[in-house]
Amino acid sequence: MTDIAILILNTTSYILILVLVALGLVVVFGMMGVINMAHGELFMLGAYTVVVAGQMGLPFWLGALLAPLFVGAVGLLIEWMLIRHIYRRTLDTILATWGLSIVLKQAVVLFYGPSSQSVTVPIAGAVAIGDFSYPIYRLLLMTMAVMLIAGMLWLFLRSDFGLKARAVMARPDTAACLGIDTRAMYRRTFVIGAALAGFAGAIVAPLISVDPSMGLGYLIPGFISIMVGGAGALSGVLLGGGLVGATNNLLTVWLSPVLAQIAVFLLAIIIIRLRPSGLMGGRHGT
Amino acid sequence: MLAINHLHAGYGNSQVLNDFSITVPAGEVLALMGRNGMGKTTLLKATMGLLPIAAGEIRFDDHSIVGRASHDIARLGLGYVPQGREIFDDFTVLENLRLGLMGHASNNQTLPEQIFSWFPVLRDRADQRAGSFSGGQQQMLAIARALVSGPKMLLLDEPTEGIQPSLVHDIGLRLREIARDTGLTILLVEQNVDIVRTIADQVIFMENGKAVEQVPVGAIRQDDDLLARHLTL
Repeated sequence: MTDIAILILNTTSYILILVLVALGLVVVFGMMGVINMAHGELFMLGAYTVVVAGQMGLPFWLGALLAPLFVGAVGLLIEWMLIRHIYRRTLDTILATWGLSIVLKQAVVLFYGPSSQSVTVPIAGAVAIGDFSYPIYRLLLMTMAVMLIAGMLWLFLRSDFGLKARAVMARPDTAACLGIDTRAMYRRTFVIGAALAGFAGAIVAPLISVDPSMGLGYLIPGFISIMVGGAGALSGVLLGGGLVGATNNLLTVWLSPVLAQIAVFLLAIIIIRLRPSGLMGGRHGT
Repeated sequence: MLAINHLHAGYGNSQVLNDFSITVPAGEVLALMGRNGMGKTTLLKATMGLLPIAAGEIRFDDHSIVGRASHDIARLGLGYVPQGREIFDDFTVLENLRLGLMGHASNNQTLPEQIFSWFPVLRDRADQRAGSFSGGQQQMLAIARALVSGPKMLLLDEPTEGIQPSLVHDIGLRLREIARDTGLTILLVEQNVDIVRTIADQVIFMENGKAVEQVPVGAIRQDDDLLARHLTL
């Protein structure tokens, strides 16, 4: 009983981080047709921000606060140097951002070496729930992730910014002719996606090993979540992230990590075979 | 209000507009007629900055707008109702209208009351999904969306295309009312002679990317030969 409760909590926190990563991917893809292969490296840079902040003697929370700001700034630079030249050329974006991901990875290797870094869990305590105890930090991480996901959904589905963003997604030319600066919307969305990945990397850093290639471990399930859920609707990301995260985590524990990976890919293949545009595909906006 | 001089524009290497020039004075309703493929839609898109311009000049309200971004051109006060209406199907009627205001950096984000007196259906069905509207209602929404920001001039691309005949005249009357109420300058691209007769002051005929003849609207009421020459195949 205790084992199952802990497993469910761990799986939930994995799903929430996955959704944070996938949300950034999906808004950038939906809005400007950019498949950002470097999204995992933005996540990794967020984790390294916390590592470096720690080495400089700064408290964890300050590092976690700096991470979205720093990674958002990196996102702004990437948008300006690379992404704005290849909007809506999806195949080109894969190649360009894949190259970028190698550059970012190697840059981190040059500065901090290929070995993994560790971040001390900022809150060591655990809470007793019934007859088992669970780390407070993990509960806090889940709370923060839920709030961020809710915030993102509100931003894109309820706010005026979101209405403009979805208008640009649906009909970029028409939105521009209504006076909406589509380039500025693209830029802001990309920076938001980057900052989100950076923050996700920062808060998950104390729980995993931080190394230059850690991004891939979240990028691939992130993409599969979007494929399973459907790229058109934000709710698809929640569903896809939930399915992929649950399958992956539960089977890793019950069977083996390899079988879990196989199951995730099988799940993706079956769903895409049955519903080519994902479970929530074809629906837009919601 | 709008002056286009020696404009060359098109898609890639094919120049649809060849040395096209017109002037639309403030307060005038000018209809642009011509057969399909003569460059009417291309002209409006080029004016809105949606197509690259190879040569020539476009001045709107004393600003040169060649090379400007579409949103900049819109913010100068040029409203555009594109061909096929291009409403946001998944959004509500009210959201479509609010989008017409949001791009304009004014602090006043309330929809002008006048819009709803011209198009009462938009108030009655403000919360309905715009995609569920009929073609005619969608056209009214697209026109209203372009008008909420109070533009100085409106570009209308075939507002009667794909609309049931009973509504065509209705939309024509409504546009005439709007032009009279506001003194709005309008450049109307249209194939439908009825609506041109209803609202236009002047008619320009277009052939192969060039303006070939300009007449007052009275001329097409009297001279059927004129229409036959420019519109029949």
